[in-house]
Amino acid sequence: MRITPRPAVALLSLTLAAAALAGCSEEAAGDKTATDAGGCKPADVKLVGQVRNESNPYEASWLAGGDAFAKSVGLTQERLTYGGDSTKQQEQISQILAKGDKCLVLNVLPNGDSDTAPIVKGADKAGAYLVTQWNKPADLKPADYKTWVSHITYNGVESGQQIGDALATAIGGSGGIIALQGVLDTAAAKDRFAGLQASLKKNPGVTLLDQQAANFSRAEALTVTKTLLTKHGDKVKAIWAANDDMALGALEALQQAGLSGKVAVAGIDAVPDAVKAVNDGTMTATVSSDGTWQGGIGLAIGFCVATGKLKVADIAAANRAFFAKQFLVTKANAADFSQPKTTASDFECGNVFNRVAGPLT
Amino acid sequence: MFAALSPQFRSLGNAQNIMDAAAVLAVVTCGITFVLMMGSIDLSSAGVMGASALTVSLLVANNRNDNDLGLLGIAVAVLLGCAFGCLSGLALVLLKVPSFMATLGVSAIGLGVATLMFAGVQPNITDAMLKGWAIDRFLGLSYLTWIAVACILVGWLIQRYTRLGRYAYAIGGAEEVLALSGVKVKPYKVAVFALAGAFYGLGGVMVTSQLGAGLVQAGNGYDFSAITAAVVGGTLLTGGRGGVLHSAVGVLLVMVLTNGLVQVGVSPYWQGGVEGLIVVAAVAAAVIPQRRRNQVVK
Repeated sequence: MRITPRPAVALLSLTLAAAALAGCSEEAAGDKTATDAGGCKPADVKLVGQVRNESNPYEASWLAGGDAFAKSVGLTQERLTYGGDSTKQQEQISQILAKGDKCLVLNVLPNGDSDTAPIVKGADKAGAYLVTQWNKPADLKPADYKTWVSHITYNGVESGQQIGDALATAIGGSGGIIALQGVLDTAAAKDRFAGLQASLKKNPGVTLLDQQAANFSRAEALTVTKTLLTKHGDKVKAIWAANDDMALGALEALQQAGLSGKVAVAGIDAVPDAVKAVNDGTMTATVSSDGTWQGGIGLAIGFCVATGKLKVADIAAANRAFFAKQFLVTKANAADFSQPKTTASDFECGNVFNRVAGPLT
Repeated sequence: MFAALSPQFRSLGNAQNIMDAAAVLAVVTCGITFVLMMGSIDLSSAGVMGASALTVSLLVANNRNDNDLGLLGIAVAVLLGCAFGCLSGLALVLLKVPSFMATLGVSAIGLGVATLMFAGVQPNITDAMLKGWAIDRFLGLSYLTWIAVACILVGWLIQRYTRLGRYAYAIGGAEEVLALSGVKVKPYKVAVFALAGAFYGLGGVMVTSQLGAGLVQAGNGYDFSAITAAVVGGTLLTGGRGGVLHSAVGVLLVMVLTNGLVQVGVSPYWQGGVEGLIVVAAVAAAVIPQRRRNQVVK
């Protein structure tokens, strides 16, 4: 036995003690904010919007919507981006919670289902008002928490059916279509395809000639579409794609096969290029979840609760986790979607749940 | 086999389709073949293609800026690919970083550069010539396919008739022997990587032409498919064997396989697995004669 390791041991135990102390004091602070719930002055509220990155137009419009809301209540939004990296997202959340702000409002896009639980637990402990969107495991419910106000998502079955119906109308109710699926083991791909199948049942004249996975990718959709076009030839009257990137890839394939304008194409997500294509008439339809609204609404709900204008206990169970309304974009209304914009009245405390399309079950 | 199962597979239209679909993969595989012949491996194609795709889409006529450099823009993108290849080569030779790690790093750098250039707005190309490459046809095949054929020819000539090509073989076969006989191996290694990079750069340009837009993910998956195609064609991962023409055959086999599975109507849920299985079987069949001669397969 030598003496040398002892300073290290002492240092380690000191660190441990410090960590334990820090943990205790943090908990104490958490208890305090929880009792204060709902009594914040509007000026004390801190708004945080977190998305994956600003390099995709959808998430950029989300942050722009958050800024617009923050401006309307005389605050600024703190913009966080984690580059699609789950670990980084958790780090950012714990850093922002560790600052100990009492009136923190978070509008978060969790990277995946499994990332939601730690965010919810952290926010609950710190008493921060949290709204999550898109991803959460089915058994984790906002109703079981005090400050996780709402979870917002979109019904993929519905959007898949909407564009399926739009295509059926565009080809006059009869003819063959091909379907380009997303990454097969994601909920979005499964739900959207289930929507197409529902639409096919409704439109008996439309037959599904073939369905292939193109993994939400423009390049893969191009190759797959070319192959399917040679396989089925003139029988293909329409192409259903589970997202806009694949729809745009299919448009390129049609152009290369000399079939531009002869085959109807529809996708989902309303990315700017697709909205432009719908406006030009080269694409039939796409579906918009309205990213700017998503960016604003999460902060608005949290802000209303933090300032006491809404009480968590008074929010209907159906509004704690819900499908929000989505919009079919066709040539008739494409111009309205080409520029992201927000409507101030959507974010008033009495209206924040106006776009609830149904409870998330 | 596919021809028996599906009448459309036999059609002339589908043969054209396979050739057109194989164009980009053929060019990328051409590049990677030289690296494999040398006994190294190159995983940088995804990043290099992404960077060159963004570069070319921002330099020719597009919706983001007023550039309209045409062919010059394409040349710059290919040179950029060349520079990235050079970087991998230098990391391998000077810093002694193993090739798979060096090229993986370069791929990440390429993707980073591409993301910076992407800057949130997708550049759509309006350049009539570059778009025309994918659409216009000459003797039934798109211009891109003819470019790929030209690349294979150039690749074969380099492999057959230049010192670079001959040494690439020799380095893969027995690097020590070559070094002992007084050949400076290092510059040739860097040159081979630079050559491969130039092919990836051109591949990135071709993807951009096909998609009509510069995508960061332009080269996604090409690294794996190109290595698969080269190996299926008979180029050994241990180096010293194979060549550009072998790889061209490998590319066609891989494309026939993916096309055939769709044509025959194999469910997409099964395709990935079936494809992998056939590739492993093909490689195993190619390697069996090797094992008999007691060569270790890494």
